[in-house]
Amino acid sequence: MENKVDRDSISYNRVKTMTALELSEEALEAKDEEKNEMAVKLAKAVKELSFQIEEKGKRADELIIANKELAFQSEQKDKRAAELAFQNEQKDKRAAELIIANKELAFQNEEKEKRAAELVIANKELTFQKGEKKKRAVELIDSNKEVDELEKRVKERTEDLESFSYSVSHDLRTPLRAINGYAQMLGEDYDTVLDAEGKRWLGEVRNNARKMGVLIDDLLTFSRLGRKGITKSNVDMNKLVETVLAEINQGNTHSAEIKCSNLFPAIADYNLLQQVITNLLSNAIKYSSKKEKPLIEIKSERKNKALIYSVSDNGAGFDMEYVNKLFGVFQRLHSNEEFSGTGVGLAIVQRIIHKHDGKVWAQGKEGQGATFFFSLPEIVKTEY
Amino acid sequence: MENTSVEILLIEDNMNDAELAIRAFRKGNINNNLIHLKDGAQALEFLFGTGKFEGRDIKNKPKVILLDLKMPKMDGLEVLTRIKANELTKAIPVVVLTSSKEHPDIDRAYSLGANSYIVKPVELDEFTKVVTDLGFYWLLKNHPPV
Repeated sequence: MENKVDRDSISYNRVKTMTALELSEEALEAKDEEKNEMAVKLAKAVKELSFQIEEKGKRADELIIANKELAFQSEQKDKRAAELAFQNEQKDKRAAELIIANKELAFQNEEKEKRAAELVIANKELTFQKGEKKKRAVELIDSNKEVDELEKRVKERTEDLESFSYSVSHDLRTPLRAINGYAQMLGEDYDTVLDAEGKRWLGEVRNNARKMGVLIDDLLTFSRLGRKGITKSNVDMNKLVETVLAEINQGNTHSAEIKCSNLFPAIADYNLLQQVITNLLSNAIKYSSKKEKPLIEIKSERKNKALIYSVSDNGAGFDMEYVNKLFGVFQRLHSNEEFSGTGVGLAIVQRIIHKHDGKVWAQGKEGQGATFFFSLPEIVKTEY
Repeated sequence: MENTSVEILLIEDNMNDAELAIRAFRKGNINNNLIHLKDGAQALEFLFGTGKFEGRDIKNKPKVILLDLKMPKMDGLEVLTRIKANELTKAIPVVVLTSSKEHPDIDRAYSLGANSYIVKPVELDEFTKVVTDLGFYWLLKNHPPV
């Protein structure tokens, strides 16, 4: 459009120049009047033309301005349109985001509801547990009272037992010492007065007094075990057996052959275990003493996290029907005439082994020997 | 008898035990002067010259006291306490006699200053031996305080 305006302005200038030249020539040539009339007409026409041209130029300028304005406006429109498009885009995006956010919110609400429901359940559970705890607390208080009561009673019983065993040992032994003492004094100091039968009777009195003394001692050993705590240490069983045998051999003569395989060491109370071995070996010697070739074997083995020791003999044995009577206090499977004894030895063995959390048992057959077993838990040394 | 020298003081409430002990001393040829008292109160009167023994020469002290623990009125432990608390008598050796090793007062007897502790054996031969050994040791071997 600008190019057109330029061309118009060029042609307008040329027209103006040409008209002026032509007018001057014509003016020269024409007659005065005619010439003047024509000149006036021409001048008017020229004026009209130049005015029109001028107007056209003005309009063209205005058009240019308007065009520019339009171009600017359309530019602005385009910009706005772009802005609007961008805004729309943003709106769409936001809308999409809002949808997602809404979904998220809806999901969270759902979760909250779920949690609320769970909390209600948990609360109920807590209330229930509180109730249970209260119940248990009450129960514990009750059972504590019971334990206290029991402990009190055990203490009282233990005290009773202690004073009982003291009076047994003191009060029973005193008259026994007198019976035995006077019987012996009678035998010694009135030797010439008594005949053989009288002396035999005195002997019986003394024998029985002695037996009662042993019985009291055994009973005391047994009752002492209940009160005595155990002190565990490593025990070389081979040496222990050796010590016990030396003691037994010093006290009485026997003809038993005693075989002792290499024994596992134990973790136990040395003195108590010595008592166990003493009782079991003395029994084995006693009950095999009537055999032609008494044989005693001491063995040990490891089995199921326990150490098992056994003492077997080829002696009188016992009927398995009465096996459960073997370890009872004062229970005997043989008469005193056959084999003397108080019936406390094996009860002591059982009590000691039970104190060590072990077990005792026996196998035997009448006339064909017996084997006594005891087990001790194998204590694994704690690593450090 | 009050001023003759006393070597053995036997404090024992049981007449049988006392008789057995006295016979045992005799059998063991320990014929030293022995006095037997039946309870703790009498024993203290004897030692300190009071009551029944008023006027006794209390410097005439026994060489050894054999003391039974279980006695009526005043028991052995109390007698022992009194003997060991008194300057006059605290140096006299005291041998505690009892019927069993079960006695709950063994430790106390030693802490109160008992010089020896003997369990009376049931067997007469053993009893005789214990008593004569005691007499032999405390009367013949031991040098009493001057």
